[in-house]
Amino acid sequence: MSYIATFYTHVAAMLTHRTLTQNGINARLMPVPRALSSSCGTCVRYEANDPMEALLDRDVEQIAEATPTGYRVLKRFD
Amino acid sequence: MEKSKKGFAGFLKDNWLVIVTGLLIGAAAVLLTALGNPKNMGFCIACFVRDISGTLQFHQAAVVQYFRPEIVGLVIGAMVMALVKKEWRAQGGSSPITRFFIGMFVVIGALVFLGCPLRMVIRIGGGDLNAVVGLVGFIAGILIGVIPLKSGFTLNRAYKQSMAEGLIFPILLVVLFILSLCTDLFKLSEKGPGSMRAPWIAALLIAAVIGALCQRSRLCMAGGIRDAVLFKDFHLILGFAAILVAVLIGNLITGNFKFGFEGQPVAHTDGVFNFLGMVMVGWGSVLLGGCPLRQLILAGEGNSDSAMTVLGYLAGAAVAHNFGLASSGDGIGAGPVVWVLGAGVGFFALLSVFNSKRRA
Repeated sequence: MSYIATFYTHVAAMLTHRTLTQNGINARLMPVPRALSSSCGTCVRYEANDPMEALLDRDVEQIAEATPTGYRVLKRFD
Repeated sequence: MEKSKKGFAGFLKDNWLVIVTGLLIGAAAVLLTALGNPKNMGFCIACFVRDISGTLQFHQAAVVQYFRPEIVGLVIGAMVMALVKKEWRAQGGSSPITRFFIGMFVVIGALVFLGCPLRMVIRIGGGDLNAVVGLVGFIAGILIGVIPLKSGFTLNRAYKQSMAEGLIFPILLVVLFILSLCTDLFKLSEKGPGSMRAPWIAALLIAAVIGALCQRSRLCMAGGIRDAVLFKDFHLILGFAAILVAVLIGNLITGNFKFGFEGQPVAHTDGVFNFLGMVMVGWGSVLLGGCPLRQLILAGEGNSDSAMTVLGYLAGAAVAHNFGLASSGDGIGAGPVVWVLGAGVGFFALLSVFNSKRRA
């Protein structure tokens, strides 16, 4: 399953990318897809069996999964 | 949506909006110039904010005082679109004072060059080679700014705020604009760039459409180059290219294309300062996360950090003109330009170092 986590800061995306990679999860940094946010930050896209919430940085904004037609938001954090 | 993979159709599907936005911004710039705005200045965020700063008498440069309807239109267009699409959100609290001062230096840099990144592209499309020097500086500034970004630079996160925090800036802008139309409270240029104006209703409506489109497409002059460098993602930079194409074609049609360094409208030929001014703009814009155009759009979306940045732009414009830092067609200002640019570099460098470890 492909997941996308968006963040309130660029550094949070970077730290998460590092943590996920260190845990053997295939992850990459990219610009946040327009469908997920009107802001222009950085997100992490990763392949995993579940959203791996425990490994995401505390400044996570939302977790979404990629579907064939778009994205489905799984959880938002204020 | 998944990235479409196949051929030209897929490319268009992923990128049409940002390309259309760019083309329309370019067309709008040419049209606004035809309607009365200064040459190669159909659209310029730094110049127009500077004119507003002047009309409010934050500075006394008599040739650049006018409440530019384009700024109001961009903010309100973005705001309405964000409200319609349920993306309007009052949020902020991400280092507002730091943003204010970065914004100040960004506009001082822009006024040394004579234009924000948007006008830089518009100038290039008008054949102004000084703006190509500016572009090299802008790219250099972005590359410098990307280094701290890669080593953990952050202005820390924004939080949800009260509705008022997101509304005060756009509402105040509209109120002041109405006052500028109905009263003679504010100063108005009688000659110079500030006296060259497209009819206000046309400027307001055109800018509102552009603002709405920018809200949808997230077009950003600095973001395009940043994403290309950081992620090899060329989506936003297509908007940048589209503006250039549209302005170029528009200027060729209207006979306003003039190739060279000398005698360009509202420009000077001091290459070193054209370069350095835009280094400051590029570097600062990466630290802020967006160019001046983008900050206006975000301010319309309820982002009070961006509103704070725009206030920094207003202050920066005032400082630039009050202390002789702003350039003119005759060359760079008579004030301590080198010292202030140096102070800006020092400030950005200190921030880049000290803000690169996130507060625990």
